[in-house]
Amino acid sequence: MSIQAVSASELDMPKRARWRPGQAVSLRAASIWHQIAIVTVVGLAAVAMIVPFEWMLATSLSRAANVSLPAVPSLWPPDASFFNYGVALANLPLLRYYLNSIFVAVTTTLGYMLTSALAGYAFAKGRFPGKSALFVLLLTTMMLPFEIRMIPLYLLMRNLHLNDTYAALILPFMAGGFGVFLMRQYMSTIPDELIDAARVDGANEFVICFRVVLPLCGPVLAAIAIFNALWRWNDLLWPLMVISNPKLYTVTYGLATGAVNTGVYTGVALASAAMAIVPLMILYLLLQRYIIRGIMLSGLKG
Amino acid sequence: MLRKIRKSLVWYAFVAPALILFGIFILYPTLETFHLSFYREVVTKQEFVGALHYLRLLTDQVFVAAILNTAVLGVAFLILVIPLSLILASLINQLRVWPDLFKLIFFLPQVTSAVAIALIFRYVFEPNSGLVNGTLRLLQVSPLPLWLSDPRPGLTGSRAAVTLLAVWAALGYYMLIFLAGLQAIPVELYDAAIVDGASPLQAWWYVTIPSLRPTTVFLILTGTIDAMSRFSDLWTLGGPGGSPGRSIQTVVMYIYQVGFGSSDFNLASAAAVVFFCIVLLLTLINFRTFLQREFSGQ
Repeated sequence: MSIQAVSASELDMPKRARWRPGQAVSLRAASIWHQIAIVTVVGLAAVAMIVPFEWMLATSLSRAANVSLPAVPSLWPPDASFFNYGVALANLPLLRYYLNSIFVAVTTTLGYMLTSALAGYAFAKGRFPGKSALFVLLLTTMMLPFEIRMIPLYLLMRNLHLNDTYAALILPFMAGGFGVFLMRQYMSTIPDELIDAARVDGANEFVICFRVVLPLCGPVLAAIAIFNALWRWNDLLWPLMVISNPKLYTVTYGLATGAVNTGVYTGVALASAAMAIVPLMILYLLLQRYIIRGIMLSGLKG
Repeated sequence: MLRKIRKSLVWYAFVAPALILFGIFILYPTLETFHLSFYREVVTKQEFVGALHYLRLLTDQVFVAAILNTAVLGVAFLILVIPLSLILASLINQLRVWPDLFKLIFFLPQVTSAVAIALIFRYVFEPNSGLVNGTLRLLQVSPLPLWLSDPRPGLTGSRAAVTLLAVWAALGYYMLIFLAGLQAIPVELYDAAIVDGASPLQAWWYVTIPSLRPTTVFLILTGTIDAMSRFSDLWTLGGPGGSPGRSIQTVVMYIYQVGFGSSDFNLASAAAVVFFCIVLLLTLINFRTFLQREFSGQ
């Protein structure tokens, strides 16, 4: 489709009464039937997204599901009770796992945001020798997958006697290239005049960073916080390597290993899955505006 | 001069925390992986062995199979998820009712950990009366697929099941990124197409899809890396060995198994280096084809 042809075909516009320039938007704004067709197709796909979750809930509420599942999948438990949830909680200390996950997610996220904000500010507004070289170095670290460093990282933790401590789950994730990069990009768009004005008033750079610049960085800080928390929450590989004490299991870790033990009892296993999923889904529903906007802005993934 | 140095000192203080952490937890261990891969542990000392571990990997059928598995699963995933999410995004982009509701629903699996999804799908794909086979039985399909219990390659085995799982889980993310790309296409392009007498479908094919090339390349690039590092869901379903019959063992699972099952950190490091080189190579190929097409298009 060549755009240059526009002027030529405009000449015979009157013959094509159906597509006038004024109606250009009509490609999107189609008839009611068009909308109904789209809603049907998209709606069917949406049902396919929800049904596994619904089936999980229905099965987790059915005590009989531990013995055998109904031959026809049922989306409503024939014998609704919280029996499986009680058994699951007795088997897996999920509350403890939750506290561990929350602690690790909150501390890494706070640390990650702090180091990203500080470095991002320096790379966006600072002037110092080696700035561009350091920034390139930082971009390079973004290209390094975690898997390329995990073995020596584990050995480092072992030598520091940090395995089986919270520190092992937290320390390696207190800074990251993505955070610095996103902060730097966002802070570059903040006008220099604002910062110069604060400098004239005698504020030092730390005060400017925290009092003037950071309050304007709400959206990007929210995006960084959400992604970092999701990464830490969902990580299995690293906890699997450095944690063996069940008291320090995260929800994800506890669920993955617990599944092996409760595997034969479908109802109980799905009840533990539900307890790991539902609280996060509620959180997602509350924060969805920020999460979806953050993803569409940064292209990052949870 | 002194004032100038003092002025820049402040900025070093700003970057120091991040850079020190990068040095300890990213740069040092990354370089150490390369170092370890050329050594072997003898009692408590490291002894140089050259490329021995790489030769061991080349002749290790389990490693080669893990690489092939990762590649097959990754390609199948991308071939399914890219067109599906593009179509879905195009449809949602035209919706005038509840577009946000649908975005919300499709994104749900992304806030669910891969482990929890794997746990659900273990029962969704249960051969006797899981959600999928129960539905297939209603539709009189026979014989019913064994899914996760069937290690054979094919459309009804474990690899197919974990691919469907991955597509289901990632669809919403890919759809959102495509949607962001769609909304960045200038309306004038569509106006021009309409003036040229294009039908909506033609406009989609000739305007929308070429305009989404950067988005598609971005998704293929990140999708390739994600597929290469796949671990959590498959570990939950098949353990570090990727059972049944190692049919769903990926490279990262192999690295984990060698390092922590057999405590051979040197061999695991060599495998990690190979993994990294493959990821790097795929990234370069993706970039190159992208750049080439951009230039030849001009």
